[in-house]
Formats: sequence, C-alpha cells, structure tokens
Amino acid sequence: MSQYDVINSRATRIDSQDKATGRAVFIDDMKMPGMLYGAILQSPLAHAEILSIDTSAAKKLPGVKAAVTSQEAGLIKYGVSPARYDETIFCYDKVRHVGDNIAAVAATDLETAMAALSLIKVEYREMPAVFTVEEAMSDGAPILHEEYPRNICAEVHQEFGDVETAFKECDLIKTTSFVNKRQDAAFIEPQGCIADYDLSGTLTLYSSTQVPHYVQRTLAMVLKLPVGKVRVVKPYVGAGFGIKAAANHIELAACLLSMKTGRPVKMNFDREQVFLHGRARHQFFHTMTTGVKKDGTLMALKHECYLNGGAYSSFGIATVYYAGSLLGGPYRLPNMKYDGYRIYTNLPACGAQRGHGGVAARACWEQQLDMIAEELGMDPIDLRLKNMMVAGDVTCNDLNMSSLGMKECIEAVKEGSDWKNKKGRLPKGKGIGMACGFFVSGAGYPIYRSDTYHGTAVIKLTEDGGTALVYTASAEIGQGSDTAFAMIAAEALGIPLECVRLESGDTDFGVDLGAYSSRQTLMTGHAVKEAAESVKLQVLEVLSRELKIPVYDMDIKKGVIVFKKEKPDFSGLRTRYIKEHRGWTDNPAPEEDLSFREASRIAYLAKGSIVGTGKYKPPELGGKFKGATVGTSPAYGCSAQVVELSVDMETGQIAIEKMTDAHDCGRAINRTSVEGQMEGSVSMGIGEALYEEVKFDDKGRVINADLAEYKIPTALDMPHVETIIVESNEPNGPFGAKEVGEGAIMPTIPAILNAVYDAVGLRIFELPLTSERVWTAMKIRAKG
Amino acid sequence: MLLPKFDFHEPLTLPEACQMMSEFGRKARPLAGGTDLMINMKKKIVSPEHLISLSRIDELKAAQCSGNMLKIGSCVTVAELTESELVRKNCSALCTGAKALGSPLIRNLATIGGNIASARPAADLPPSLMAYNAKVVLKKSSGERLVLLDDFFKGPGLTELQADELLTEIQIETPPPYSGCGYINMGIRKAQDCNIVNVASFISLDAPDGLIKTARIIMGCVGPKHLRACSAETFLIGKKASEELFAQAGEAAMKDCSPIDDFRGSAEYKRAMVGVLTKRTLAMAYEEVRSEN
Amino acid sequence: MKKLISLTVNGKSYQIATEPNQTLADLLRYELGLFGTKKGCEMGDCGSCTVIMDGKPVNSCLVLAMQANRRSITTIEGLESEKGLHPLQQAFAEKGAIQCGFCSSGMILSAKHLLDKNPKPNEAEIRSAISGNLCRCTGYQKIVEAVKGVRG
Repeated sequence: MSQYDVINSRATRIDSQDKATGRAVFIDDMKMPGMLYGAILQSPLAHAEILSIDTSAAKKLPGVKAAVTSQEAGLIKYGVSPARYDETIFCYDKVRHVGDNIAAVAATDLETAMAALSLIKVEYREMPAVFTVEEAMSDGAPILHEEYPRNICAEVHQEFGDVETAFKECDLIKTTSFVNKRQDAAFIEPQGCIADYDLSGTLTLYSSTQVPHYVQRTLAMVLKLPVGKVRVVKPYVGAGFGIKAAANHIELAACLLSMKTGRPVKMNFDREQVFLHGRARHQFFHTMTTGVKKDGTLMALKHECYLNGGAYSSFGIATVYYAGSLLGGPYRLPNMKYDGYRIYTNLPACGAQRGHGGVAARACWEQQLDMIAEELGMDPIDLRLKNMMVAGDVTCNDLNMSSLGMKECIEAVKEGSDWKNKKGRLPKGKGIGMACGFFVSGAGYPIYRSDTYHGTAVIKLTEDGGTALVYTASAEIGQGSDTAFAMIAAEALGIPLECVRLESGDTDFGVDLGAYSSRQTLMTGHAVKEAAESVKLQVLEVLSRELKIPVYDMDIKKGVIVFKKEKPDFSGLRTRYIKEHRGWTDNPAPEEDLSFREASRIAYLAKGSIVGTGKYKPPELGGKFKGATVGTSPAYGCSAQVVELSVDMETGQIAIEKMTDAHDCGRAINRTSVEGQMEGSVSMGIGEALYEEVKFDDKGRVINADLAEYKIPTALDMPHVETIIVESNEPNGPFGAKEVGEGAIMPTIPAILNAVYDAVGLRIFELPLTSERVWTAMKIRAKG
Repeated sequence: MLLPKFDFHEPLTLPEACQMMSEFGRKARPLAGGTDLMINMKKKIVSPEHLISLSRIDELKAAQCSGNMLKIGSCVTVAELTESELVRKNCSALCTGAKALGSPLIRNLATIGGNIASARPAADLPPSLMAYNAKVVLKKSSGERLVLLDDFFKGPGLTELQADELLTEIQIETPPPYSGCGYINMGIRKAQDCNIVNVASFISLDAPDGLIKTARIIMGCVGPKHLRACSAETFLIGKKASEELFAQAGEAAMKDCSPIDDFRGSAEYKRAMVGVLTKRTLAMAYEEVRSEN
Repeated sequence: MKKLISLTVNGKSYQIATEPNQTLADLLRYELGLFGTKKGCEMGDCGSCTVIMDGKPVNSCLVLAMQANRRSITTIEGLESEKGLHPLQQAFAEKGAIQCGFCSSGMILSAKHLLDKNPKPNEAEIRSAISGNLCRCTGYQKIVEAVKGVRG
C-alpha cells in the first residue's frame, strides 16, 4: 500500500460536485450591478490600411455608454514575449488579418452593443495579403511588420556537436518532410471577462484565463496602472489548452471601457471569434535528416522547420525554439542541428497549444525512426530502447533528465498491447504502431525575463483549529490542480483532505505564473508543500514548548499528533482546549489522541494566526547558447503509446480500435486525474491526427469557424484507452511528482502514422489523415 | 449570438397555418425543428419577419400506414423515425438515414419535413426517401398537390415549394415483395457530421432470387441536389444480383454524378466514393431482399 | 414585443414574458438564473446547453423560449433531490468524469435520458447517447465509465 495518507490516491476532486450540479460559476454566469455589455469590431479584411474610423453614429445610439478605438486606447505594444511585443489593443495603421481588432463599444445590453458596432464606419484601403509561408517569404511580398523583412518573425540556428561529421560515420541516413495543419483548441467555453474599475481606482478583471498573473502584468503595462491596482480573478474556466495563456483583446478592451464608463463591462467571444482570435497550434513544415549506425545507434539529426505564424507573435518565439529543442530527448542523440523560422502571414496569430511546439516535430521524427527501424530490420521498439536515455542523462542541448521512466513506459505498452503477437502479424487493413515522447514539467524560465518566483503559496490555519486554508494564484482550468494542491497540503501537513479548504486563481493571493507548460503540479506544488511544512513546524514548535518534547520527536499524521517516543501527558492542553469550547458537543474524550485541531488552537493562542508561506523557483537550468532556456525544466514527463487501428481499403477511412498508453508522471498525486489527462491528451491527439484543420478561403476568412465543421472527436470516435501510470520518483518534484498534461499527447499522432503504415504499407507525411488523404495515397501507389 | 427580431406565431391547426402562410408569404418562414433555421438566422443568412411554428399541429406529427401507403407527417422528428417500428419494418434505409443524422440532441428537434424542405444536398433523409420513390404533399389554403420527391428538389436550398405552401406529409408506397434498400453516409467523424458523400440504393426482384426488376440509386453531395444514378439503374435492370454486378453499377454511378471540389473533399474523391457506396448499398439492399425470404 | 408564456422548469411553474427572439437557453440562464445550462457554441454543435424538454434532451440554444410554452423542462439543477445528488451526478464526480466541467451539465442530462429509457445500456449505446455532447478534456472514457457505474 501507499506510504502516503492523501496523495497517490483516487480522491474525488474538490470541485466536481459543484460542476456536476451546475453550481460552479463560470465567467458568463456572473453579473454585477450596473453591468454594461461590450462588443468588439473586427476586420473583415486580411490586410488593409485603415484610412478612417468614425464612431460618432455609434456613440449617439441610445444605450451606448462608450465607443473606443486606438485613439482612446493608445499605442502601447504588448504580446507574450517582451522581445516581440507587436500588438496593440486596437489597430491604428492597418489590419493584419480577418478578425483583427478595430474598436469596441459598451452599452446597456448586448443587442444595443451589436447595433452600435454596425454603426461604426471604417474606411480601408485593401492591400495584397500573404497566407502561406512561401507567399510571405517571396521577393516583393507585402510586409506585415516593417521591422521584420521577408516576414521572418523569428529564426533559430543551433548546432550541438557536429552533424556533418557524424553523418560521415553513419550507415543509414534518412530524410523526410512532414506537415500538420493549423489547429483550434476547441475548448468548450469561449473566452469571456468582466472588468470592474471601481471608485478607488482599482481595476478588477474576472476572466476565463489560464494565467491571471501574466494578464495582470499586461493590463498594468498597457493601461498604465500600478500592478497593485490591478487584480485578476479567474472563476471556473472551461479549459484553455494554451490559448487562454496570455491577455486577449476583450480583456483589455473591457478594462478600457470600464475605466471610461466607471461601470462593470462584460465581454464574450462567440465561437467564431474564438477561431478569429486563434493562438492555437501552428502549422509546421518539418524536414528532418537522421543518421544512424547499422546497429541502430542514433548519431545525428539535421532539422529545418518553417512555421506559419499568422499576423502576430503571440507565443511564437517560444514555439519555434520548442520545435527544435524538444527533439533533444528522450533518445541519446549526440549531434543535432536545427534551423527554425517563424513567418508572419495575414491569418489569425498562432500560439501555444498542448504539447507546445513539439507535437508535429515529434510526429515527423517518430515516423522517421520507424522507417529507419524497418530499413535496419529492427523492431521499432528495439530501436527506441537501444537509444533510450536513462535518469541522469543530459541531452546534447542541456536538458537534464532527472528522472525518466521511458523504458518502463515502453515495456508497459508492449506488454499491455500484446505487441509481439501483433506487430507485422495483423491482416491487411489492420495495423499496430507505437511512438514515444516527453515534455517539460514547467518552463524553466518565466515568459518575461525575471528572477521572480514562479509560484507562491500561503496556508493559514483557522483560529478554532482544524482547517487549513490554502491560497495560491494558480489556475484551475479543468486539469484538477486545485485538488492536487489540496492533497499536497493535506499530505504535507498531516491532515485529512476534508480539513483543507482552497482558494486559487486570484492575483491577490500571490504570484503564480499559471496553467501552462505543465508547470503547476511541480512548481505550485512545491510552494504549497513548503507552506504546509511551515505551518506544521509552527504548530509543533508551540507543542514542543508546551510539552517539553523536541519537535523532531513529534509528527502530524491523519489529523493526529504522533509522539514518536513516550506519549506525554497532554491533559493540561486538552483542558484548556475544552474550556474554550464550553457547550460544544464534539470535544475530545480523555482517551483520544491529541488532535491536530487541539494543537493548532493551542498554537493560535500562543502565536496569533498561524500562517505558513511557500515559494518555488527552479534553479538555473540549461546551457549558455542563444535560446538555451526554451525546453529547460526541472523535470520531464514521458510517455509511450501503442495504437491499433483498421483502414477501410476502399474509402481510406481509419477506425482507431484501441490505444495503450503509459505515462511517467513521477509520483501520481491524484491517480484519477493523471488518467484523465492521459485520456484527454489521446483524444486531442486523435483529433489532430485524423480530423482537425482550420481552413481558410482565398481572402483569409476561416471557413469552418464552428464546432460542426471543425471536427473534434465525439464519444463515438474515441476508442477505449488502456491507461497505465508509470511512477518514477522525480527528485525535483514535490513528493516526486512531475507533469502529465502535455507529454501524454506527444506519441499519439506518430503512433497512428506508424499503425497506418503497418495496416496499408503507406507512409503519409501530411495531417490530418482524412479518408481522402489515405485513399489518395493508396491510389497513387496502385498507379505505381 | 442574437437572433434577429421577428414575430412568432404558433397555429394549432393546419388551415390556420396555411392561412398565415398565405397572409405573410415570403416574409414568413415555417419553423419545424429549427435545427437549420435557427442557425441561419443567428448567422443572419435569413431574417424572416414572421416565424410560423408548426410544432403544435398534431396532424403533422403522426406516422401511419393505410393500405399500402406509409404516411409520415412532416413534423415527425428524426428521433421518432429511428424508433418507429412502422418505419423500420417498411423502410429500413430511412431508419438508417435517420440514425445517421446529426446527434441525438439534433434528432430530437429535427423533423423529416425540415430535412427535406431545407434541400441541403448532403441531407441524410432524402436519398432513402427518393429510393423508396416517396412523394410529398404540399398544401396551401386553396388546395394541395402531390409531388414526387424526385421533382421536388431544384437546387441547394431550392425546392418546388411556393411561398404560401407548407410541406405537410411524406407518402411512401409499401415496397413490393422481394425488394430491399440500403443507405450509407460517409463523413469525417462518426456523429455530428456533414456528409462527404451519401448514397441510397433500392432494388426489387421479379421473384425470390430472380432478376432485378426495379432499381433506384440516389446520390447525395455530388450535385446541386440529390441525383439519380440513371445509367447505373438501367444497367441493373433484368440482371441477376451479384457482387460483381454491384461493383459495375458503382462504376456506372460514378459517371452519373457531378461533384465539385470543396473544403470537404475533392470531386475526384467524392466520385470514387459514389462508386464504393453504390456497390455497398446495393449489397445491403440485396441482403435485405434475401433476409426477408 | 414580449409575450407571456408559462412553463414548468424542474417541477416549478413559471409565467414569464419573453421576446420572440430569445432562446430557451438564454431564458433559463438570464431570466431564471439557472446558470447550470451552459452556452459553448450557440449553434447546436456542442451540447453544453442540453436540457430535457418534455422528456427529450435538446439543444436549448436552438429552441425559442416561446416554443417552450406549456412544456416541461429539466435542467441540471433539477436533478438533485432531497436525497442529495442524482446517482449520475455522484458517479460523474467520483469517477473523474468531470474536468473543466463546462460540458458536464449537458453530458449528465443526455446520460440521464439514456438511463431513463434504457436502464442497461451497453458501451456503444452510452457513446451514442452522448455523441451530441462534445468534451475536449476527458476523451470521454471516464464519462462512459461513470454511466456504466450507474446502469442497473
């Protein structure tokens, strides 16, 4: 049995009953007295000079309280990476994509606000637009941002070791190219917010965000307010997957409108606007050349990648780095060269989505590794095992695998899928494939250059004793982080989960960089653990003085004070406790052990409020080269997956029949939540592999900006997933824990590609694997 | 997302509804399940001044068999079609089509009449209905007419319906002995999908294990409206059913369709899938013939 | 112009004036304060606004409030009883079938309708019954397991 009392269990999530009953409050469920409704005017054109904007008619419409443009908003630039702040709240010189933001209004109701938008007159001079990487980089192409010639938003050139020399020693060198399609995260709750600028000059923004802290800083910077006058509060959030990990235009516009009107302002995206805002997975064009020895030893990887970035940078600089750096592992690879380019185009900006930067790269490479294995006559699993890193290995680009249960994951899926009896033995049209992957447990550095703590936590004991209140600014967006931190606090403090209450998602509670890069369990978890340990120590120190027992001879377990040596006479303390609770019916009986509740009351009487704080910041990580920070992390989660599928030989339709998925999450804090992340990752991976693609017409307009034509898997499309949790003990994680939310998507797409090959003998290098794409490949082969 | 403003009417009888249609004409739209109309109104593609809800008119909500005629009221929901023993027994392919439509939530609202009258070339019910040679009753205050479904569709969103007419009933003659029908729709995912291609095929034999006497093959998504695969149908007549014959019919059907490239698929692929689905639906139809003997 | 309608929501009768162009989803949320009914797409694609109307689960974003006149509606708030949470609500909470929770109301109502009609559904029937309710977090597996756990 587990050595733990709370963590490593299947505790029911602390938010699940509220969510099961409709009580949980999401942003659009909130209303404030005097609240106005805002709406945002977006460009119908992909690239155009703005000649004039006239809001006078809109302002005259009864019920309209404010209409704002760049004139009122100012021209302070913001974005994700300070190195590429390239957005303003509203466009002023030109629009760069369909859906670019021009003006906003606030009115007494939404109908009036929408009517006001239609009264705003904008004169444009349409300009030529570029939608593809080729168009954007061609000679004479229109330029989106003058500072970036050839529309190159960012480029990366890295070489570790000496790739060309290594290729000379190789017995087999393989080159393949691969392209995925622009994604939409398709979370079910569209972004929304309510801004409230009060009479004291404090701005409070309630928002469906993953990152209250970054939003707070952006609001303060752009609206020129002190950080202390800006509070961001996150209610329950209907998921984000990376897209809600930066301030968006309606958050800024609502704040501006609230400051202008002195009234709360609510703004929502509708589903089409979710697509127009974009910020999800880029389209990547990868070309990779891998060299190996005949025994399968990996020698070198030469990798070139172009990203269609859309009109703004968003997370794109990190993305273009991640696309290269995340191939450093999990295999021993001594030489790696990477050239990456992120290109501006007149489409909505792309950003970060689950598996940031690494998903398409992983798909390209893991398929190529399968091809290499076949040419070498090796089982693809053996090729992978031969090159697998082990705990303690450092990649050629300085990523430290402080724990790595990769081999255990592979063994688990091999066993769980009955691989040896299926690989190469299934009838035509049926296939089995596998792949591996890994991901960071939190980015090693914040998005803005800073020595900030990545997470802080405060735990306060209630004065009656017995309940620990946990406060963090972390972001529960559906992944279960609140529950994980309540469990960590309970475990570290030695009390039952029911004795913990938790509040999160409010910048007033501290600093937390938020829910992105799979960082919270490890980073916020550390801070919470430290705060809990501090509280525990404070309680035990008071007991130590009262009972004359050294602190180290006592402990707290399951809500009871444990005396490691002789049990002292604590009847004096108990009498004091009972005296303070005359008439109460639940006072302890004489024979009972000394409870945490009694001890914490005694501690309060001695010291006042018992408050513990915790904090976490990773040590300095990574190498010294340019871009060395991207990809660093205190720990890496990893997974292996096997997929079994069938292909209809006449139509090309793929049916996924079974997935076997093993993930090393370090110590699982909540086993049910870990499985939930694994299964959710697989479903997002299946969607990207088989169905999903944001499509545009020749004017740069999204033609499938809804959940009917942008197709995510339904319950009928998902196979049964056999989830296997592999637990390494991560030295840098709280209780040994690390990530699961993103690493688990890495193997899904390449495992499917490899299984399709096993089924029909065809390698396909473009996603999604629609029936038509598979059919076309089969037809081309048939023609020879 | 806001709906445009309109007046809402909820007649309780058919004459009342027809009266309203004649009064408001093109300014009005009948509202059945609303699964198409609400979306088009939210997108501001249409903004009728009057909505005439048909959902309280009981006579539009019945399905019954009288003699050799199955009569289905236009407001029978798609979910009801999937559950109707009458439909399953007489028109199994219609039942298959109904089960393939949208999602359970959509099927509880969407009606057979709406699925026909919206005239979307990808719709799930028209292929099998046309394969069963269904007719529709179009009614207005001054009278009614019976139109073969083959003649009802004029193009995408375009039908034989006049501004003051309502589609009130679908009539299907009970299929003759030794007949069967099959329907397959092909999309991207398994629910909530818009079809890439859909095909329904009906055959009847002159005797158990006899020769093919009639054949009707309907192809969706490969033309401005649902198309008959005429040369494939002709090819089948008088021949003995076999896998090979059905494959040949599929090849003929490929020449009968006129698909276009769009974001759902290329014309070439759709044409090829017409071949596959024709072959497979004919096999389903033949299987039904045999299973009933 | 607003018109008066009467409807029963979770067993309680209401008379309320509504504009013709108000959807049932908006009426439930903004007029009756039943915020458990969510709006994820407003186009009938996601199922987060699912309510049970006269015994059938429907997308309330595609139903006009006026069409609900004289009808009976069950929303997620109507599933609890004096005995506490509905077994499905309890199972969803315990089995990890809820992550972000935005689809949960609709998902639970679709599942309830299935079990009311078919107390012993197999896995395929469960998946089919919830196929109009999109979930992006769970991959559906724990939802299917929760429903299985409640079936007779």
